[in-house]
Amino acid sequence: MFDRAKQDDRFVAGNVPTDEASAQLERLFHAYREACPDPEPGVHFMPELWAKIEARESSTNLFGRMAKALVTAALAASMILGFLLSTASQPGSTYNGTYLDALMADHASGLEPLNIERISELEQQ
Amino acid sequence: MLVEFELIQKAQQGDASAFSQVVTAYRRRILGTISRLIGRPEDVEDVGQEVFMRLYFSLGQLRTPEVFEPWLYRLTVNACYDYLRKSKRRLESRMADLSDQQVMMADAVAGSKAQLDETEKHRVRDTVNGMLAAVSEEDRILLTMKEVEGLSLKELETIYGVNENALKVRLFRARQRVLKKLKGVTEAPLPSAKSDKAG
Repeated sequence: MFDRAKQDDRFVAGNVPTDEASAQLERLFHAYREACPDPEPGVHFMPELWAKIEARESSTNLFGRMAKALVTAALAASMILGFLLSTASQPGSTYNGTYLDALMADHASGLEPLNIERISELEQQ
Repeated sequence: MLVEFELIQKAQQGDASAFSQVVTAYRRRILGTISRLIGRPEDVEDVGQEVFMRLYFSLGQLRTPEVFEPWLYRLTVNACYDYLRKSKRRLESRMADLSDQQVMMADAVAGSKAQLDETEKHRVRDTVNGMLAAVSEEDRILLTMKEVEGLSLKELETIYGVNENALKVRLFRARQRVLKKLKGVTEAPLPSAKSDKAG
């Protein structure tokens, strides 16, 4: 029974046994291989290849240089910022009084005295 | 191996002359594989140059020169996949569209070992291309690499990065699909016979 089933498996979609069909397919592939020989590369194959390699290398180098320049600029900017922050946070530049003291100190010189006399004149009228 | 391991090692170290020698040794074989995989002669050299360019920039990643050939084939298969995806082009002919002459030729070729002349070669190419176009791109490339290029299961294992059993299963199924297509066409009634009956 098992042998019979196994024998039936040798047939694919018809009366041709699988082995025979496979062999036919193999011969067909072999003929195809013969019918499609390896093409001879053109005379420009190698120069064009090297030109492409060099073009990609130069574009890679350009990208690398740009990346390097960006990193350098970012480093410089961060150093400048760091320096500015460090000078801004030095103890001498901070005001030690309260917020109101600071406001008063800041506005004291800019404030004009109230014109009390003129108001009093108006009151007189 | 078409070249010595030492030459590959020199190329890995950046020796341009060694790299050129490696390319010269393999280019014809690789161009042949590409031509059978993509089916467009006018683009074969471009894809070939892409393969060798990828080789140039990734040669440093090759750990052992012993696996150089499967590795080169992997680059080739990947470049062909990329080309096919980019151009979104499948082989246009389908087995169902093949002429009766081509179908008869498939039988004749399979049964005979006689030398093929140019016309016959052309027909064989059309027949097999049409037959392979009827299966998926993955099956077509796998079958071509195994049956036409003659790569061993071990080499395919390295190229595809899957184990031998999985490959055997895939190959078996791909062959079954192709056989089905082949049989479906060879069993189809000829149009001339139909017209005779109609008349």
